[in-house]
Amino acid sequence: MTDAKRRQGDKLTEAEAIERAKLGDAEAFHALYDLHRRRVYSLCLRMTGNTSSAEDLTQEAFLQLFRKIGTFRGESAFSTWLHRMSVNVVLMQLRKKNLPVVPLEETMEGDEEGTVRKEPGAPDERLAGSIDRLQLQRAVDELPPGYRTIFVLHDVEGYEHNEIADMVGCSIGNSKSQLHKARLKLRELLRMNRAEKAGKK
Amino acid sequence: MCTRDCAAKLITVMALAGVAFAAGEVRKDLHFKVGKRPVISINNPYGPVLVRAGAPHQVVVTAILHSDKVELDQSKSHNRIDIVSHLLSGADKNSGVVEYEIQVPSDANVTLHSDTGRIHAEKLHGDVTVAGSDGPIDVTDCGGGHVHVRTLNGNVSLNNVHGHIEIMSMGGDVLMNEVTGTLVAVNSNSGKIRYAGDFGDEGEYDFTSHTGDIEAIAPALASIDVLARSDQGRVDSDFSLEPKHTPFYAKGGSAFAGTLGKAASSVKLFSFSGKIHLKKRQN
Amino acid sequence: MNCVEFERVLLEGEQTPEQRAHLNSCSACSNLLSDLQLISNQAKLLLASDEPSPAVWNALESRLRREGIIRRAEPSRRSFGDLFWRWRTAWLVPVAAALVIVGVLRLHHPAAAGDNAPIAKQSVAPPPVAAAVLSDDQQLLKTVASRPPAQRARYRTELDDANAFIRDAQDAIRNDPNDVYRQQMLINAYEQKEMLYQLAVDHVSEQ
Repeated sequence: MTDAKRRQGDKLTEAEAIERAKLGDAEAFHALYDLHRRRVYSLCLRMTGNTSSAEDLTQEAFLQLFRKIGTFRGESAFSTWLHRMSVNVVLMQLRKKNLPVVPLEETMEGDEEGTVRKEPGAPDERLAGSIDRLQLQRAVDELPPGYRTIFVLHDVEGYEHNEIADMVGCSIGNSKSQLHKARLKLRELLRMNRAEKAGKK
Repeated sequence: MCTRDCAAKLITVMALAGVAFAAGEVRKDLHFKVGKRPVISINNPYGPVLVRAGAPHQVVVTAILHSDKVELDQSKSHNRIDIVSHLLSGADKNSGVVEYEIQVPSDANVTLHSDTGRIHAEKLHGDVTVAGSDGPIDVTDCGGGHVHVRTLNGNVSLNNVHGHIEIMSMGGDVLMNEVTGTLVAVNSNSGKIRYAGDFGDEGEYDFTSHTGDIEAIAPALASIDVLARSDQGRVDSDFSLEPKHTPFYAKGGSAFAGTLGKAASSVKLFSFSGKIHLKKRQN
Repeated sequence: MNCVEFERVLLEGEQTPEQRAHLNSCSACSNLLSDLQLISNQAKLLLASDEPSPAVWNALESRLRREGIIRRAEPSRRSFGDLFWRWRTAWLVPVAAALVIVGVLRLHHPAAAGDNAPIAKQSVAPPPVAAAVLSDDQQLLKTVASRPPAQRARYRTELDDANAFIRDAQDAIRNDPNDVYRQQMLINAYEQKEMLYQLAVDHVSEQ
């Protein structure tokens, strides 16, 4: 099946599956789960950093959604609904565990020295070439939880700052500054990783 | 509990002590540390695979390889353990035999495969997935997870198993004793299906066969909504059933339908040409 | 504009003329900007990059059944959903065909250890149904051709039994396509054949 045909088939299947799911059809729920499981699970895994929690949260997100399937009217895309649900489920979990969802208000004004001068090694060096998925994954896993949340929601999942501010309960300015710090931290981690590898050779 | 653990370990040791190592047999012991809900997969073409619940956070494997024509390949990645009996050139169903006895945490999800040997799973609460060919498969005292069994010709026996159960068999008989769950589905070709239990849990019980006979033994106070049909086989019920609310008719073949008690569980007994008999348990 | 000011304004997104001027003259800031853009762009690699274990669906399904969210369909609803059932059974045969084809492909291109790509997701165009069934049976027998004679004979027998079930079920459903019992028999017959293919293919890919 070509990609286009499969996508078309999936679209028909999703609308049909939603209608069947409202009637309690097991196959329909399974089809909906199959369509979205990777996206939901990956989000949970990125935000929590461990597979066991990610699996529990994935189950919880789908369960909450499926409980409400009867009220789904189809005005917004099903996937938007599901992914919002997943983000909320994860954020609730982080809050429950008293993990920092987003660090307290910090603005760039307090940081007089800026980033550039703090960089170790040669500041002129660029992260040449592309970054592969595994390197990036490892670096994201090493981010402090608060930075990780914003980076995952904005750069990976594609939410806007106003949406993030809404979901997470911070200001738009805070969301922007945390994102910037997250990217800076990732840059540092990726460069250290490169340096280590180069050293090993 | 220590007593149970100690008893299980004692049985294992005694069983092994009873095995006289023939010439060429080699014993391997493996020990793994694992986290919550580990995934364990055993792939053993020839020979038995016996898995029981043991202490938490560890997996203990004892393997007896019957010759040097088979190797044990093991790999561990995060919380997943894969063990494969790797057949070397010249191995056959005798020289390729490996006997496995494995203890896993009770919350483990296990996947077990053997063509010729007996597969046994006991006291597990995670998912149990079994694929066999000729050897008998028995699952005992398992509950809470999914139990999926596929076999060509091996007989399948479930005792005191609860949860979500799906069994598929070509020619092997499927025997269920005290088995309940949200879904209990058995799909057989020529194998017999025999159920003795109370059809509880407000579950869905679907037993289907091509030519195999279906026998279900339920207590007098069972609470079921039952439908039985066979195109070419005879269909009998020992119960006097209340008529269903929705009209029921069958074109061709033999059938009965009705309810008992509050009709909490749904029971479907379908066969193409096998006999179907819903019996009342004699207490 | 100095580097600290440049970085502060970076947050706002829009590039001002002062920023552009600074970029042209400062390689450190220019590198910083391009690195941060690279990281942000590559982040998409992490979208939907991981697969949950089958246990997640299993546990979810059990919960859905317990809460009554998955419900048994009433016979009247099933006949309304006639199209759905026909879709489902029609789908099964190409999938079974695809399974075997993919299985044979894996024989010739053995998967690396730890390859968990689900079989049904491979993009192989399934051949037309009737011809497919016959040629798939031959493919299946070819797949087990190198096994011990007793095993080969068993697969042949099971294949005959599976096909007999499918034939009986197809004959029965021709008389009454809306009959729930006959629909279930046909689905079960196909699922048995799918199991045969899967068991044969799993065996191969393990060695």
